[in-house]
Amino acid sequence: MPIFILRRFAVLALALLVVTFLVFLIPYIGETDPVRALARARFGRLDLDAATIEALRLELGMHRPLIVQYLDWLRSAVTGDFGNSYMSREPVVEQVWSALKVSVVLTLASLGFAFAVAVPAGSIAALRQGGSFDMATKSLSQAFVAVPEYWLAPMSILVFALYLGWLPSAGWRGPESVILPALALSLRPMGYFTQVMRASMIDVLNSPHIVAAHSRGLSVRRTLIAHGLRNALLPVITLFSVWMAGLLGGAVVIEVIFAVPGMGRLVYSAIVNGDIPVLQAGLVAIVTLAVVINTVTDLAYTVLNPVVRIDNATA
Amino acid sequence: MPQLDTPLSPDSVQGMRSRMGNLHMVKSWLVHLSRHNRTLLVAGSVFATVIVLLLLTPWIAQHAPSAMTLSERFAGPSAEHWLGQDHLGRDVFSRLLYGGQFSVSITTITLVISAVVGTLLGVISARAGGVVDEFLMRLVDLMISFPDVLVALLLVAILGPGYGTLILALTITGWTPFARMTRGLALEINAKDYIRAAEILGCSRTFIIVYHVIPNVLRPLATIAFLRFGHKLITVGSLSFLGLGVQPPDTDWAAMLAEALPYLDRAPALVLIPGLAIFITALSVTLVGQGLEAHLDAKMKWRHESK
Repeated sequence: MPIFILRRFAVLALALLVVTFLVFLIPYIGETDPVRALARARFGRLDLDAATIEALRLELGMHRPLIVQYLDWLRSAVTGDFGNSYMSREPVVEQVWSALKVSVVLTLASLGFAFAVAVPAGSIAALRQGGSFDMATKSLSQAFVAVPEYWLAPMSILVFALYLGWLPSAGWRGPESVILPALALSLRPMGYFTQVMRASMIDVLNSPHIVAAHSRGLSVRRTLIAHGLRNALLPVITLFSVWMAGLLGGAVVIEVIFAVPGMGRLVYSAIVNGDIPVLQAGLVAIVTLAVVINTVTDLAYTVLNPVVRIDNATA
Repeated sequence: MPQLDTPLSPDSVQGMRSRMGNLHMVKSWLVHLSRHNRTLLVAGSVFATVIVLLLLTPWIAQHAPSAMTLSERFAGPSAEHWLGQDHLGRDVFSRLLYGGQFSVSITTITLVISAVVGTLLGVISARAGGVVDEFLMRLVDLMISFPDVLVALLLVAILGPGYGTLILALTITGWTPFARMTRGLALEINAKDYIRAAEILGCSRTFIIVYHVIPNVLRPLATIAFLRFGHKLITVGSLSFLGLGVQPPDTDWAAMLAEALPYLDRAPALVLIPGLAIFITALSVTLVGQGLEAHLDAKMKWRHESK
């Protein structure tokens, strides 16, 4: 395996170690004693005396040095054991897993839609620079970027759920309940994707190999499909992956508005309720996904783009 | 004093070369901009209007933002209340002005701190190279894809809600674009002949950074700040929407929107208006950023061609 890939994996592992340590520390940073918080969650009582708390501390092994506790915690975390939720008393992993599935559906639906609109729109705009389609695409994509999703969401509920009654206003049952939240989430990425697609397509169109293909007599369409599109897509794919990592855990507002049981809402309610095991597991999942997506994109980029490959190999 | 950056357009060269050319430079720059970029002019005026309105709030707002008149709940627009009244009979227009002050000032403070921190780290990254550079740039990669909202949520959980927490959270996620850009520019500028010339002439590091590097980085930095402003404004809003940003009795645009949400079917205007305020502000400032960016590109192109 080339050295740069190995190095990427080393960085990945290091990043995950640092992040998991920070996540492990969460209950110890706050003002409340973690043992007391745990006792409160387990027995539902606030008035435990100091002796009971100390006994519990011994029993849980929380008197040991932090680093030993961390390794212990990490060992069970790796095997998928993050403990039980303080709220539902059920294993945290199952909650995170089901929330993750919801978030993946929502994220892929919204970003997929954004991508499917942005790529053709950006390409056509780039081909007809300065034309009316280009102008319209430019204005719209600029406007889309400035639309807050917590405004678009209620407005779309108002129109499609309350006035027209076509779609459910909230909840997560069946495919039709995906449409509104996905739509509300897709507008800003769509704006960004379109702008990047247009710019990168213009770059590609001006590059020597396209000009050469043209002068060899290839038709515009063949030139684009055979040589242009692949190169022009690279920056958009990078942006896609950044948004994907961001939306998997970061669609908090939309998930709250539409009552979607995804990662964002899970972590949000864990913070509000002080449900530390859920919070820890959720954060570890989100960060791991972000790091993995990031690394995969980089590697894919390297495979697709020889220039980067050479840079990386010599670096 | 060393010559500042090269002029912006051929017709302003003369003015910039003159010894007392600063005022003239600004003037000719504005003339040039308005002549060549209508969007920039319009968007700039809209944004300037928003800022002026927010600055003049104490004189324009006719009502205290939290003064309630429960008998006039959901009242429509009137001469007394230009945009009507909300679910507690408070004046929407006055709340919009006071709320805007919060949204815009938190965003501005965050951006300024992010820009300073990011620029410093970018310069350090470029100067140090090696492991430090690698570490900082990987950190940038990771931070860019980590959701702002979650960082803020986490900090609020640990430190408790407050404006300090809010600014800290937004800075932690906000410095990355500045660092990445400054690093790139610093690497580029350090390789320039005029830097080598300055070094040969015996100029100190500080002198070179202050008189050669910073003037060249300043305008791209301002451009990024404008481009990020809309995004940050929306993020600040999403935190207020979740109840983690502005704390009552203060308000901001997104908090107004969130408060009006239960009455969506009854009084949609209460949701529409604050959202529109965020949209218009974010759009105008983004267009200013893009105008500046295009202008910067055009300038570079002109400079290349004139070489």
